[in-house]
Amino acid sequence: MTVLGGFLGSGKTTWLRHQLHEGVFKGAFVIVNEAAETPVDDALLQGSSNLAVLAGGCACCVGKEDLIALLHKICDDRSKQTEHRLERIVLETSGLADPGPIVEAIRTDPILVHHIIVSETLVMVDALHALSQLRSEPLGRKQIEIADCMMVSKIDDANPDDLARLLATLHVVNPGAQIFGTVKGTEVPLPDFSQAEPEHLAEVLNEVDLPPIFPSKLALDETIDWTSFSVWLSALLHSRGNDIVRVKGVVRTPAGRLLVQTVRKVVQSPEILPEQESREDNTIVVIGRGYREEDLARSLKYFAGAS
Amino acid sequence: MCSACGYPAAPGHWTEAGAANMAERLRSRFRRSDILKHVLKPYGLNVHDGGLLPGIQISNQFGSQTIVRDLAEVWALVEQWTGTAVDPLNPKFTMPPAKAS
Repeated sequence: MTVLGGFLGSGKTTWLRHQLHEGVFKGAFVIVNEAAETPVDDALLQGSSNLAVLAGGCACCVGKEDLIALLHKICDDRSKQTEHRLERIVLETSGLADPGPIVEAIRTDPILVHHIIVSETLVMVDALHALSQLRSEPLGRKQIEIADCMMVSKIDDANPDDLARLLATLHVVNPGAQIFGTVKGTEVPLPDFSQAEPEHLAEVLNEVDLPPIFPSKLALDETIDWTSFSVWLSALLHSRGNDIVRVKGVVRTPAGRLLVQTVRKVVQSPEILPEQESREDNTIVVIGRGYREEDLARSLKYFAGAS
Repeated sequence: MCSACGYPAAPGHWTEAGAANMAERLRSRFRRSDILKHVLKPYGLNVHDGGLLPGIQISNQFGSQTIVRDLAEVWALVEQWTGTAVDPLNPKFTMPPAKAS
């Protein structure tokens, strides 16, 4: 099994999507875990023949039982196969997951321990946001500490000095792990960071006392059109981009089904998805902290009614 | 480049991705301008987008006026002019709808 981890919006699905497209995990069973109840990433990973989505709970805590049950079923089915047996499982964890307890749960399960070898834990590292996550998010640091291999994403958008500092810091936090650079899932060479000064993190992390990050679902009813939604979201990200860690969802617009994804203040160009009916359209997942969940819907309603 | 405002043609802002043709784009601009007018009124700002010039015109009560390209620039300008960012989760925007109108 390959465990793919990394913080919210670090590029896990983008990387996995590219690998599936290239045929790297050919024939593998892909499990996608999402902390929110609305799955979005499965829409992007249709290239995989065996795909299961575990939505509504992070697999390292509340969703752990569901994950173990699913793995039991996969192993059961595999035992019945006589030819073309399943050789690999890829688990994409939620951005809120600590891969440690997941690997531990598999290794300590009396059945799974005989069927599944966790061969590698890959962790995506966001070149634009990882340093601030390392400073302020204990979870971001745990994910990096456990990695066998770190893949630094979005390096084409990063400032060269910041990137070198990040790489040097990663090397200090987890010296045993290999580090690769990626851009939209494709591997690219990393710059030399041997001269860069790593960030001193230890004392900063102990002082953190932040409210927990939680996922919320936001339904866009017929009164909310793309224009009001985008005005609202752009204002929200401008004022609270550090608290709104991640926004993702599919919005129906006159231009088609638009996939909206943000990581803190950075918004990806919306991607037009193929036309198909989906119950999850017009439902946005907002993952963040420091606000009341009901205020999201109320303020969006206010913006939509403002004219 | 637009000869009226001097802006070179730039790739669209993400907020403009919802329109597929000129008519929808124009309709969306008028709607955006209406929403901004309403939201920014308490901040003492006026917004105009007549659909002819590219960009969004914003003016304050002291007579300053400027044209910005997109919503990201609108929020940055408002913060610069008023000293506070427009926070949609501010209680003034999260009142129950009946009271908000």
